[in-house]
Amino acid sequence: MKKLLSAILAVLMVVSLAACSKPADPTPAAEEGKVLNIWTWNEEFWGFLGKYYADEVVDATTLKKGDVTIKRTTYPSDGGAYQDALDEALLNQANAAPDEKVDLFLAEADYILKYTNSEATMDVKSIGVTDFSNTYKYTVEAASDAKGVVKGVSFQCCPAAVIYRRSIAKDVLGTDDPAAVQEAMADWDKFNALAEQCKAKGYYMISTTNATYRVFSNNVTSPWVVDGKLNIDANIEKWMDQSEEFVKNGYTHYTSNIWGAEATEDMFGEGKALCYFGPAWYFNFSMTNAQDKEKGSFGDWAICQGPQAFFWGGTWILAATGTDNPTMVADIMNTFINNEEVCEKLVRDEAQFSNNQVINNKLATDSTYGSAFLGGQNDVAVFAELAKNIKFQNITQYDQLCNEGLQKYFTEYLDGQVATREDAINNFKDYIKTTYPSLTVE
Amino acid sequence: MVKIKKENKKKSISYAKWGYLFILPFFVVYAIFTLYPQLLTIYNSFFEYYRDGLNVVGPNFVGLANYKALFTVNSSGYIPLFKFLGNTVWLWTIGAIPQFVIAMMLALFFTSTRLNIKGQQFFKTVIYMPNLIMASAFSMLFFALFSQVGPVNQLLMSWGVLDKAFNFLGVRVTVQGLIGLMNFLMWFGNTTILLMAGIQGIDESLFESARLDGSSSTQVFFNITMPLLMPIFIYVFITSMIGGIQMFDVPQVLTNGIGTPNNTSMTLIMYLNTFLGVSKNYGMAGAVSVLLFIITAILSTVVFKTINKK
Repeated sequence: MKKLLSAILAVLMVVSLAACSKPADPTPAAEEGKVLNIWTWNEEFWGFLGKYYADEVVDATTLKKGDVTIKRTTYPSDGGAYQDALDEALLNQANAAPDEKVDLFLAEADYILKYTNSEATMDVKSIGVTDFSNTYKYTVEAASDAKGVVKGVSFQCCPAAVIYRRSIAKDVLGTDDPAAVQEAMADWDKFNALAEQCKAKGYYMISTTNATYRVFSNNVTSPWVVDGKLNIDANIEKWMDQSEEFVKNGYTHYTSNIWGAEATEDMFGEGKALCYFGPAWYFNFSMTNAQDKEKGSFGDWAICQGPQAFFWGGTWILAATGTDNPTMVADIMNTFINNEEVCEKLVRDEAQFSNNQVINNKLATDSTYGSAFLGGQNDVAVFAELAKNIKFQNITQYDQLCNEGLQKYFTEYLDGQVATREDAINNFKDYIKTTYPSLTVE
Repeated sequence: MVKIKKENKKKSISYAKWGYLFILPFFVVYAIFTLYPQLLTIYNSFFEYYRDGLNVVGPNFVGLANYKALFTVNSSGYIPLFKFLGNTVWLWTIGAIPQFVIAMMLALFFTSTRLNIKGQQFFKTVIYMPNLIMASAFSMLFFALFSQVGPVNQLLMSWGVLDKAFNFLGVRVTVQGLIGLMNFLMWFGNTTILLMAGIQGIDESLFESARLDGSSSTQVFFNITMPLLMPIFIYVFITSMIGGIQMFDVPQVLTNGIGTPNNTSMTLIMYLNTFLGVSKNYGMAGAVSVLLFIITAILSTVVFKTINKK
């Protein structure tokens, strides 16, 4: 009986959806699901949803908005575990009960193409997300399929910068002024020279060689996969050169994973590393050791553009085909790009760089705004400038494991466990060959 | 009881059907959850069948192409299957040797009527304890303990043994050593208890008479304990070996899934797992599984035959 009822409801829903194909007027379907399922790999967006959208936070994985329960399903991102679980759920979407269906899921730049170019995501204009005039253009391009159909939105814009320790900069350069520090590391040659100065004073330029990886990988001139063949761009080679040199000269503290205990330990008060690289989400969400006021480095940071502009990641929220909560899905998306009150809070209270240009530009010129974590610096002003240059290009659906894999295997060479650089690259190639049977690896 | 007696009077009534009925659940469960997947694995190993993004490729029949691919030399110049089989056997060996030596010693001490150790129950519980922890959790614990900023490095530096943090998880000897140590810690308690059960099953009078005849402990061990313990010992050895060939969670967690460094801690099942990652490559993974099955069967037979010869 229940099955029959849900089948009828499902049919009704499809009919009602089909009926309201006029994008501007998303007549709320008479019967929408009472459970909205959202898939994530961390708690960043979930936290914002709880604070700025839901009426009530029930527990760590449940929220309430009106009479709809919002539920979270989370898998770790590392090694593609999140993608694996999500793929499984999306392929099973048609057979899942309405309340079990994925309604909304998060995706990163590294693999967003896999989902936007598939039937698993739906046109969000058809459910009422139509106004992208205030968002950054690349965030819309990234969430669109090859034909230009928009499948989701991002709640953040991710131009990235160098996040440096003010106290170390003062000791080494005699100043912690962002303009002066930027001048001292305006290109890679100057960056290397500054690294030498840091070493002379007993500091490290970076905590780990992997910290600069994204700067190079984001500035490649060709993607990881060209015509179905694995392709290692010359800029990735440049990162390898730099890492090798940094290890040899002792400019880096470790060679470890940037998320590991080693790199994050250097964010403590007694840490010895000058630079970290990342966008707003990196220092507000991933530098927890530095954000912790008890641990001695809060407020001792500042940002500048660094040797080369880049952007890193960004989280998109995509609408899953088959959702039984289209109205709420659209409402959530609109809230995080067009609700100026929410966007302003994201910037002021969460240190996000929002995906609303009006708000960002307003705060960029607001002399009273400053980030306490960055010692009062107006980070929005820096990011607003950098955001103008972001181009979403040279990106493939294979990027996450290519990026992770290359860093892991090259690190073995840096640690002296693999005889030559070529051996490390061969190990990486073998890994990609095993992981992606559809790619040609030579 | 009365009823049974009555029925007994009738001639040639078979109770076998009840027996079959009682063992039926096992065979049904076995057929659904073990036999069927096994056959499916073998079947899949002859197909090209994987995912590219969200698109499913196949299943297309490709004959023995998957097996051929497994025996192809890779970019690094070796056949991964052989290298990873070698790794697996080596990683199992360095854990299994201390495991059997220590377990045998403990089993002898605990069962010895001459030593008559007090508080056996307590010791048995304690040595079994590591086995109760999930292998991946145990591995995660070691990962944290031995990281460059972990407590082990901090202790060694504060004692002055090291002047700079040592990368335990990046160097071959220590990574393999840690994997061996973890496997040893997790399994020696289990082995001890099984061997003790075996020793206790030997008739006490044999030991007594040997002692009365003036034989030394060594003589008792090699001429009485060991021969009579053989069936249990073979069982323990073969199960340990099969478990060793399937080694996965400890090295997977400790090395972030890539068998650091230079694939020296990559086991066969980790290799299989790489196929099953994002691309869900059932064809290749099936072929690895079938080969693994054959290897396990051969090794078990060889071990069984050689040890059982006498």
